[in-house]
Amino acid sequence: MNPSTSFPHRVSDALADAQLRTALDRATSQLGSRRILALATLDEADAVRDRARAARLKAIANLGAYLERFEAKLVSNGAQVHWAQTPADANAIITEIARRTSTRVAVKSKSMVSEETHLNDALERSGVEVVETDLGEYIVQLRRDRPSHIIAPIVHLTRQDIGRVMSERLSVPYTDDTRELAAIARTRLRQEFLRADMGISGANFGVVETGTICLVTNEGNGRMVTTMPRVHVALMGIEKLVETMDELDSCLKVLARSATGQKVTVYTTLVRAPRGAHDSDGPEELHVVFLDNGRSRMLAGETAEILACIRCGACLNACPVYRTIGGHAYGDTYPGPVGAIVTPGLRGLHPWGDLAHASSLCGACREVCPVRLDIPAMLLSLRNEARSDQPRLMKAAMRMFAWTATKPRLYRAAMKMMRSVLAGRSSEGWIRRLPGMAAGWTSSRDLRAPASRSFQDQWRNRRRSAAR
Amino acid sequence: MNAREAILARVRAAARTGRVPTGHAGSPKTSAQEERSAKALASRSEDLLTHFSRELAALGVDCHVESTADAVRARIEGLARDKTILSWDPDRLPYEVGSILPAAATGAAGRSVQAGAALGVTGCHAAIAETGSLVVLSGPGTPRTASLLPPEHLCVVRRADLYASMGEFFRVRAADIAAASCCTFITGPSRTADIELTLTLGVHGPGKVVVIVGP
Repeated sequence: MNPSTSFPHRVSDALADAQLRTALDRATSQLGSRRILALATLDEADAVRDRARAARLKAIANLGAYLERFEAKLVSNGAQVHWAQTPADANAIITEIARRTSTRVAVKSKSMVSEETHLNDALERSGVEVVETDLGEYIVQLRRDRPSHIIAPIVHLTRQDIGRVMSERLSVPYTDDTRELAAIARTRLRQEFLRADMGISGANFGVVETGTICLVTNEGNGRMVTTMPRVHVALMGIEKLVETMDELDSCLKVLARSATGQKVTVYTTLVRAPRGAHDSDGPEELHVVFLDNGRSRMLAGETAEILACIRCGACLNACPVYRTIGGHAYGDTYPGPVGAIVTPGLRGLHPWGDLAHASSLCGACREVCPVRLDIPAMLLSLRNEARSDQPRLMKAAMRMFAWTATKPRLYRAAMKMMRSVLAGRSSEGWIRRLPGMAAGWTSSRDLRAPASRSFQDQWRNRRRSAAR
Repeated sequence: MNAREAILARVRAAARTGRVPTGHAGSPKTSAQEERSAKALASRSEDLLTHFSRELAALGVDCHVESTADAVRARIEGLARDKTILSWDPDRLPYEVGSILPAAATGAAGRSVQAGAALGVTGCHAAIAETGSLVVLSGPGTPRTASLLPPEHLCVVRRADLYASMGEFFRVRAADIAAASCCTFITGPSRTADIELTLTLGVHGPGKVVVIVGP
């Protein structure tokens, strides 16, 4: 991926990649159908989704009070809490913890927030070796690639791609057998777990009333990074709270089902405190880093609701746009419908407001969202906000259109004229290139040629022949 | 203003804009309601066990149900024969299972010894019928490593420790959870589907899990 190119360019690249299209097609439809089957195993699934939604909305509506309570509970449990306003702050805090604890090697379980802050680069600059331990993220790291799906980071790669990078970077004989590839990773990463000084994780949820960090992983790397190293650092966005364990239960019930189609993720780890005085394992130090990075700004804006997202990835699998262009084209950490809202929120409308147009507004994302986020409405409000950046000429044209559209006779006359102009430019029902100002429209998509007669014309004719 | 104060101030100011929609929990299931449905299932522990075994089978976990402590120990003897073992402390294992594993390493052993074990033997603090999950609380004598490092995990479940759901366990055992540094739900063998969505077992945690339910 090359984030320096524009969104339309990245989309063109993705569309030209036939392998990517095949892989996306297979993965997203499989994950989508697994989700449906899994939700069918949940009694009163709709009610559970309502409860999960209510729990998350309550948490972000009361975020100030909850963060303070959560912090107090964490501290009384023996954890150390840090607050970071920016990605640079978060990286500096974690780098300082690494320095103070003489950390040479850090193992990481999957954390989207650390992708957001580019934590690995920061730690490596200060001399700490960082190893990703989620199998997909490990391969992403070996390839110096970026994840392309929230829960299936290497959905864009074939096992042959993976075999090649493993054999090159790890000096092992080439294989494209899935089991052998996983076994190689297990052996390599086991050594890293045993020698690591620091474990870094994200947090799927923070439970306010108990001061608990909830982590879910299928591979067990979440358990490893919170068990083997002597220091555990959890980096979390400030929005990831639920108030009670009962609410956590509702969220967990829908998270795995929506993400992978499992009833529950293999390992659900509730980290409450550093190791006890008589425990034989577990970290001696537990640090929790809260990252804002634009979240408090989003909370005051039209897209505040997106902060209730639980990062299951179901909206990616359902989205006709994601299914076609994949994750890299979105250009930043969070892809898909959720990314099209989160990225402009975290990083600003310039140039990320473009992403809000990567949607047909079909509503499939809202349909599958376990916490029923109104994603299309948020995309529309982002488009609306981005409108203030439109060129003056465009604004004048839109005003002209609005004026014309309120005058039926004028509108019909104008449309008639447009139809005859456009008819001359169409071939096989499509217009592929428009001149002048209108070229912008056809530079990234074809325009459907207008019907030879308007709907109103046709309607009038029908009425006339019916009356006869 | 430090980072904490700045973030909290922004969050509070944002809350006053009222941009967050209010969720309607519909008819939130009350704890009482859920307890009733849990009790309905628990009324016959037979049902809980049946459900639990069915879930384990679906997860690819071998489950042996034994009716006496002797039978539990005999079963484990057979499964553990000739394997190097990492286990919980003997006094933490139910049915005096520790007595038949004299050579087992515990959490007190060195890291390389623990990492070299072929079989992890543990009890559990609860088991969840609805999902086939085993719940382990870390604490003195119950190391996290025993259910994590070896390629195979053998877990001994007392029938009385079966709960209908995770929610029920959270409510009934809140005090125990609050006393442990870490609480882990284990639901089947370690797995990944990162490579072409193909299921592969045993990536970091045990690729094989065996459950023995005692009386």
